[in-house]
Amino acid sequence: MSFLSLQVNKSGRSVLMTGNEAITRGAIEAGLGYAASYPGSPTSEILANLGRLAKEYNFYAEWSVNEKVAIEEAAAASFAGLRSLCIAKQNGLNVALDSLVSISISGIKAGMVLVVGDDPGAHSSTNEEDSRLLSKVVHIPILEPSTPEEAKEMTLAAFQLSEKFKLPVTLRCVTRISHASGNVTLGEVEAVNKEAIFAQKDRFVTNAALHQMQEVKLAKLRQVADTLPFNTYFGPQNAKTIIIASGPSTLYALEAIDALDLENEVGVLKLGMTWPLPEKFLLEHLKHAEKVIFIEEIEPFNEENVMVLAAQHISKIYPLEFYGQRSGHVAGPKGPGIGEMDPDKVKQSIARVLGVDNKSEETDAKSSAKSETSDVPVREMAFCAGCPHRASFWAMKSAVALDGRKAVILGDIGCYSLALRRTGWTLPQTMHAMGSSAGIANGLGKLDRFNFKQPVIAVVGDSTFFHSTIPALVNARYTGAHFLLIVLDNGTTAMTGHQPHPGMSKNAMGEIVEGLQIEEVVKGLRIPVVTQDPFDLQGTTTVVLKLLRTEGTKVLVLRQPCALVAAKASTRPRVYINQEQCIGDDCGCSRFCSTTFSCPATIWDPLKGKAIIDEVVCNRCQVCVSLCPQGAIKVEEGANFGR
Amino acid sequence: MEQSKMPSWLRKEVMESGDCTRCGLCVGLCPYIKTQHEHVAFIHDCSRVDGNCYRVCPRTQTNWVDLDRQVFGTERTDHGLGNYLKVLYARSLNKEITRAGQYGGVVSTLAAYMVESGQSQAAVLTRGEDNGPPTPYLARNREEVLACSGSNYSASPSLSILNTGVFEGLEDLTTVGRPCQILALRKMQGLNEASQHNPSARKVNFMIGLFCFWALETEFYSFLQIKTEGERILRLDIPQNYLVATTEKGNVQVPIDELRAFVRPTCLRCFDPTAEFADVSVGSTENDPEWNTLVIRSSKGQEIVNRVCTAGLLETKPYPEERLPLLLSAVYKKKKRVLEGLKQGKGYMYLNLNSDYAKGIEEGGTGL
Repeated sequence: MSFLSLQVNKSGRSVLMTGNEAITRGAIEAGLGYAASYPGSPTSEILANLGRLAKEYNFYAEWSVNEKVAIEEAAAASFAGLRSLCIAKQNGLNVALDSLVSISISGIKAGMVLVVGDDPGAHSSTNEEDSRLLSKVVHIPILEPSTPEEAKEMTLAAFQLSEKFKLPVTLRCVTRISHASGNVTLGEVEAVNKEAIFAQKDRFVTNAALHQMQEVKLAKLRQVADTLPFNTYFGPQNAKTIIIASGPSTLYALEAIDALDLENEVGVLKLGMTWPLPEKFLLEHLKHAEKVIFIEEIEPFNEENVMVLAAQHISKIYPLEFYGQRSGHVAGPKGPGIGEMDPDKVKQSIARVLGVDNKSEETDAKSSAKSETSDVPVREMAFCAGCPHRASFWAMKSAVALDGRKAVILGDIGCYSLALRRTGWTLPQTMHAMGSSAGIANGLGKLDRFNFKQPVIAVVGDSTFFHSTIPALVNARYTGAHFLLIVLDNGTTAMTGHQPHPGMSKNAMGEIVEGLQIEEVVKGLRIPVVTQDPFDLQGTTTVVLKLLRTEGTKVLVLRQPCALVAAKASTRPRVYINQEQCIGDDCGCSRFCSTTFSCPATIWDPLKGKAIIDEVVCNRCQVCVSLCPQGAIKVEEGANFGR
Repeated sequence: MEQSKMPSWLRKEVMESGDCTRCGLCVGLCPYIKTQHEHVAFIHDCSRVDGNCYRVCPRTQTNWVDLDRQVFGTERTDHGLGNYLKVLYARSLNKEITRAGQYGGVVSTLAAYMVESGQSQAAVLTRGEDNGPPTPYLARNREEVLACSGSNYSASPSLSILNTGVFEGLEDLTTVGRPCQILALRKMQGLNEASQHNPSARKVNFMIGLFCFWALETEFYSFLQIKTEGERILRLDIPQNYLVATTEKGNVQVPIDELRAFVRPTCLRCFDPTAEFADVSVGSTENDPEWNTLVIRSSKGQEIVNRVCTAGLLETKPYPEERLPLLLSAVYKKKKRVLEGLKQGKGYMYLNLNSDYAKGIEEGGTGL
C-alpha cells in the first residue's frame, strides 16, 4: 500500500493498494499517454503518483492551473491519438463541466477517462455533491467501483469503452474507495499508440446536430452494459427482496444481510455501470422481486433511474414496491441522502423495510473502531502551529477593527477556509467556490452608488489565485471595483497535500520550471500590489489598514511558506516561555496565547498556572513572541539544534 | 473608587458609543486593544470578568472628589479650575524653544528640563508627521523633546507609548497629556490591586496637562491637505476664530466654523478643559502670543517650576487680574453644559460628582 506497490512489475501478482493507487495502476496498464489534474480530495494522490511514474512509463503528467484546462488538455491528447486521463474532485467537475459538455458532443479519438472523486459526508469538501447527475447531463457513461481491485479493472474497461464509443467515460470514485486498501492483481501494460498526430481529416467540433449521435452512442452503451461483468447479482435466484446498490454501498449491503441472517432471502444487485443502466439485466431481476431496496450515497440516482425503467415495464414486473431515499426508509440519522452510508445504517434501513429485528445496534467493525479510538482526544480543526494564516487573519482582524467601518471579509477555498472556525475568529462572511471571493468582491466593490460604505477584503491562497481569481481581477480593473484582494501565498497547494502550482518552480514530474510571480500577474493588469511578511503582525496590520483606506482595486500578497513545509527545512531557534515572567491568570491577557491566538503549540500548564510551549508541536514561527504583553515568550539565542 | 467591569463593556460603553477619548492608556495593557493612526480599537473581546482597561478609562465612572483627595490630599474650593496653587503667565527664556514651541514654549521647556536634568528618563510626547496625524513619541533627550514642539489639534493616543516605555524598562517619565490623558493616568495610579502588574502611570514622575476644549477627528488632516493644496504644513495654530496652517508658501487660514464638523463628539462631554489633575497645566493666554497660561497645581509642580526658573530657563509673571474671569467663564460654560447633559441622562454617566461639586458648578461662574 504505497508508491512502491505501483512499481511492482510482475503481472499476475496480487498487491495491496489504495483505490487511488489502483486507478493509477489501471491507467498505466491501459497505456496512458497524458494525464492532467487539479488537486482535490479524495483523488489527489492519483496525479501525484502519475507524476512520479511518468518518465518510467513514458507518459506526460501535469498539475494544471484548473480543471477546465485539465480536461481540455486530456481531450487534446485524445484528439491526437493518446490515451488520456483527467482527474478532479466533485467541485472540479463543476469547473470543467462547460468544456466536458462540448467534448462529449464533439466526441474524441483515443480513450479518455475522467476520474471524479465524490466525497459523501464531505470529509474534505465544502459540500456533498453527486457528480453522477452531471455525467448524465453530459451524456457519458459512469462506472462506479466498489473495491480497489474493481477500480483498476474499471479504469482499463473505461479506456476501452471510451475508445470504442469515442466518448469520455467517467470513473466515479468516492472517498471510501479512493482511500481504502485492498488486493489488486497486476496486469501487463498494454502496447497502445504513443505517437501523437492530429489527423488532417479529423474534426472535433461541438454542434447541436451531434446530439443525435450522442443518443445513438448511449443506446449502444446500454446494450454493452448488460454484458459488463461489473453488473452482477448475489444471492438466491428468485429472491422476493432485492437490494440495488453501487460503489461501497454494495459491500455494506452484503455485510448487513449477513448480520441480519437474510442471505437466503435477500439478493443484492450490484450496479457497476450506473449510467446508462443495464436494462435487460435489471428487468430480469425486477421480475422475481416484490420489494426493491436502493442503497446508495448522496442522491437517489440509481433509485430514480431504475424506477423510471420499472415504470416503463410495469406490466411485466408488477407487483413491486420500492424502498429507498424517496420512501424515507433508507436514511441515516440526519435524513435520506445526507452523510455517508455504513453497514449499520444499511442494516437499520433493511430491518425497517422488512420489519425484522435489527439484533445488534452496531456491527463488529463499528464497535471495535469505537473502542480503539475512545482514548483519542477530540481535536478542534485549527491552523497548524506556526501557520502563517493565523498571523494573516489576526493582522486582518486588527486592521478591520482599527478601520472601524465594519469591513466585510470574503473567504475562499483552501486551508484558510478554516478561518470560518474559531481558529480564524470566524472572520470570513462568505465562502463559496474557488475564486468566488474575488467575484463577490467585484460585486460588493461597486455598491458605493447604493450607499455601501464598508470596505471589502477578498482572501485567496496562491493556488486559488492562479486557479480562478485572475478573471475576477481583470473584471475589477475593467469596472473599477473597490476592494482589497489578499493573497495568502504559502508557496504551495497546502490543503490538498502540497502539490505544485504555476507559482512554484517545479512541476508534477519533479522537473525544475520557472514559477510565475503573483505580483507580475497583478502588475500586468496595472493593479497596485504590495508584498508583506505576515509574521510581522504590526507591519501587516499597518499595510492592510492603509490599503483599506485606498480607493480602487488593490492586491496584497502575504508571503510566508506553509508551516509544514517550513518546519522540514527550518533552522529557526527554539521558542519558549519564561514562566518567571508569565503571570498567568493575573495577566490582563486572559490566556491570550493559548486561548485567543490559540496556536496549538502554546498550551496552559495547569500545575504552574502559566502558559507553556509544547516544543514538539511548535514550528518556531516566533509570532507569539510579539503578542505576549509580559514579554514572557522568548527566542533562544544561539540555539540551533534539531532543525 | 475604581469600578470594575468586563473589558467587553469598555468596547460597548466607550468605544462603540464614540466616547473613547483616545488617551491610549488601555493600549498595550493586553493584546486585545490596538491603536493605529489615532484609532483605538478592540481587536477581540477577552474573557476576563474585570480589567484594568475599564478601571483606568477616563470615560468610565470617575469620582472627582476621590481623585482630588488622591492627587492633592484635599477637596477643591475652586470648581472652575480645580485644585491649584498659582495661576501665572509664563514663557521660555530659550529662543530656540520659543521659535519652535507654541506661544511661550512652556511645555517644551519643562519637558526638556526634566529629560536633560535626568529627573525623567524620557518624556511621553507626540511628534508631528508630514501632513498627517502626529505619532506618539518617547523623547529621551533634549533634541528629541524639541523635535516634538508645537501643538497638534487631534486626539493622539500617546499614552500607548508610555506603556511601551515602561515595558522596555524605563522608570521615570514625564508625560505631557490632554486632560483626559492626565485623568486616565491618575485613575491608574489609584488602582487598588496591582501587585502583579506594573502600572505604567506609577512610573510617571511629572505630569504636564494641556488646556483642551476639544480635539479634532483624524480626518481633519485630509481636510487640511485640501486647504493647503498638499503643501507641507510646518505649524498649526488657532489664534482666535480661525486656524492658521503655516506652509513653506505662507499661511493658510481656515475659519473655525469649518472645523466644527471635525470636533470629536466625546470632547463635548468633557468636564475638564484645564487638566485638573496634572502637576502643572499649560494653555494659551488667548491675548498674548509671547506667553502661556501656567497653572501650578501640586507641590511637585511648584517645586519643578521653581527649579526651572532658578535655572534661568523660564520666566513667570502674575496672571492679569482682568483675564481670569474670562478663563473661568469659558471653563464654567463647558462644565455647566456637561452637568446639564448629566442631569438629562444623555449618557454622561462617567461623571460621578457629589452634591457639593455639582452645586459648585451650578453656582460658579455667575456674575463673571
